[in-house]
Amino acid sequence: MKIDPRTKLFLAVAANSVILSAPFTYSVLMVALPAVLLLFERKCKLVFAFVLTYSVAGLGFEYLKGMDLGMAGTLVVATAMLAYRMMPVCVVLYYIMVSTRANEFMAGMSRMHVPNKVTIPLTVMIRFFPTVFDESRAIGNAMKMRGIRLFSLQTLKNPFAILEYRLIPLLVSLTKIGDELSVAASTRGLAPETKRTCVVPTGFHVQDVVVFVYCIAVVTLFAYSRMSV
Amino acid sequence: MNISLKNVSFSYTDSIDDAILKDINLQIHSGECVVLAGESGSGKTTISKLINGLIPLYQSGTMAGDVLLGDKNTADMTLAEISKYVGSVFQNPRSQFFNVDTDSEIAFGCENLGMAPEEIRRRVEKSVKDFHLESLLGRNIFHLSGGEKQKIACASVNATNPDIFVLDEPSANLDLQTIADLAEIIKLWKSRGKTVVVVEHRLHYLRDVADRIVYVKDGRIDCEWTPAELEAKGPEYAANLGLRSLNLVKLHSCHPRAGGDLPFDSITFHNLRFAYQNKHPIIDISELSLPQGKITALLGHNGAGKSTLAQLVCGLRGSWSQKRAARKLGTYLIMQDVNHQLFTESVLDEVLLGMHPKDESAALEILDGLNLKNYAEKHPMALSGGQKQRVAIASGVSSNRDLIVFDEPTSGLDYRQMLAVSATLKALANRGKTLFVITHDPELVLNCCHHIICIEGGKIVEQYPLLGCQDKLVHMMLNMGRNR
Repeated sequence: MKIDPRTKLFLAVAANSVILSAPFTYSVLMVALPAVLLLFERKCKLVFAFVLTYSVAGLGFEYLKGMDLGMAGTLVVATAMLAYRMMPVCVVLYYIMVSTRANEFMAGMSRMHVPNKVTIPLTVMIRFFPTVFDESRAIGNAMKMRGIRLFSLQTLKNPFAILEYRLIPLLVSLTKIGDELSVAASTRGLAPETKRTCVVPTGFHVQDVVVFVYCIAVVTLFAYSRMSV
Repeated sequence: MNISLKNVSFSYTDSIDDAILKDINLQIHSGECVVLAGESGSGKTTISKLINGLIPLYQSGTMAGDVLLGDKNTADMTLAEISKYVGSVFQNPRSQFFNVDTDSEIAFGCENLGMAPEEIRRRVEKSVKDFHLESLLGRNIFHLSGGEKQKIACASVNATNPDIFVLDEPSANLDLQTIADLAEIIKLWKSRGKTVVVVEHRLHYLRDVADRIVYVKDGRIDCEWTPAELEAKGPEYAANLGLRSLNLVKLHSCHPRAGGDLPFDSITFHNLRFAYQNKHPIIDISELSLPQGKITALLGHNGAGKSTLAQLVCGLRGSWSQKRAARKLGTYLIMQDVNHQLFTESVLDEVLLGMHPKDESAALEILDGLNLKNYAEKHPMALSGGQKQRVAIASGVSSNRDLIVFDEPTSGLDYRQMLAVSATLKALANRGKTLFVITHDPELVLNCCHHIICIEGGKIVEQYPLLGCQDKLVHMMLNMGRNR
């Protein structure tokens, strides 16, 4: 399902404003939307995993938060809260990342009159995330082959070594890729002063209206509940 | 559009004294195809950067002289302006994509030029047709093989229809058939009156396309031939200059081979299978036998599943039991990008890391065997590409693995460097290691391999010992994937 990048940005803002402070019901209402949208992107497994962890963390937190559980218990509750507050934010961002093409995003931003100087670095960032994962996976493979595991006696003895093994090659290759990427982009005419067009038509459709109305409804309900307390 | 370089010198530092290019004068006429050849580090890539404007507009350094595109000086233009006239394809297919999906990538340059969407769609369609990319449309670029990515890069540049094409070692990651496709692409460009500049070690595919081969040495233009002139001088002449063969069909006669007696003891893998979720299998091999202590070449066109097979053999993919079996056997993969597998602060540490128990003198001995002894205390990232590769090999040897898999060890290497890698492989085999080498490089195969396995569509289609079959091999490599 095609959703305009501007709608997605609105979704991100609305979701963040509700999720970080609202009680469980409103969070669920809000999170349901990107989860459903992710289903349209055929990320069923991921959505299932998310719904499961989110429910456990959310319900667990709501149930346990008032109790006196001692040190260990508090740690568990804190972890649950972190997962329950942060995960939806990640899901929204993940949805935007997998569903938005770089050119769509740039077109959407320029329609909102955001200058290219802001848009281009943002777009590069979106492009960079999958690269980081890709590189990181390759390095992880190399480490596995060397028999360096994340959890072993050896790494417990020297936890910083693992960080170093993982980060140094990652940084070296990302710096190089970042540089080559900007070279490739600039030789192909991407510059702050260019006026781009976009082959993918952007514009609002019924689904955008649905997303807008839904977000506004949830935010309003939440704000109303806050005011009436 | 004519290109002219007038008295150009360039240095990557502040001082013109340690210049990588010295007083270059070069005229390239409209409609010409010129190959810049020379050994690694000779400065030929730097010349290509002068033409696409990265020097002086992107790269910092000191420059003297003028570069003119038509009658415009590149120093007075912007990169965006130059991009209307010059299209560039780079060596590393991983890092020249701005988009994550193929369709957007092909349209990217046109969008930057501000063309109307209708026009862009027409051009993308035409580019796709020119390069036969129908099957690659709508794909995630992260799921493509290196060769497939390179074709997308060419199509993308083609869509903007510039006057000049600059290709920097475009064949480094391509199979011979795709290289032949690339030659067709260059021919097409030439027939449309485009100027093409190719920086390249591999010359065979340019034999019928290139008008001139310009040989760069130590930052100067050393000499210049037509392909026919160079070929007339004989293969030894080119090899001495560090150039790859001009004529693959004649290759087999210049590399007499020894060894290859059958039968061998073999390392055998059973039921190697892999598929991305719910799709048809990428690899489906019921038995893979690798002769022990010998070098086996794995051939197959781009996207045939070679890298996936290597990862299966090394236990980096596949089911849990497959992974365990691979670990038990002791396999080691030398990745195409060796930067991924160097972790520590010194070459010696790198070798000691996988060694149990740690034995410094044994480690030094391994390094000595790979000509790395003098670098034991150096940081691995400070070494050259070939040295890094040997450090990675050393770490595989030190962790006592019997089967070492190489993923395209000679991509982008000149003739001398290729011979060095070939010598290393032979030395490893002599020490009893079994080697499995993914490659597109016929010269490497003829130089050091004993056994050939060819896969297509994830299945083994042919395997035979190389001895006596050199003709067959060259013929097969040239025709690989033609009926895909």
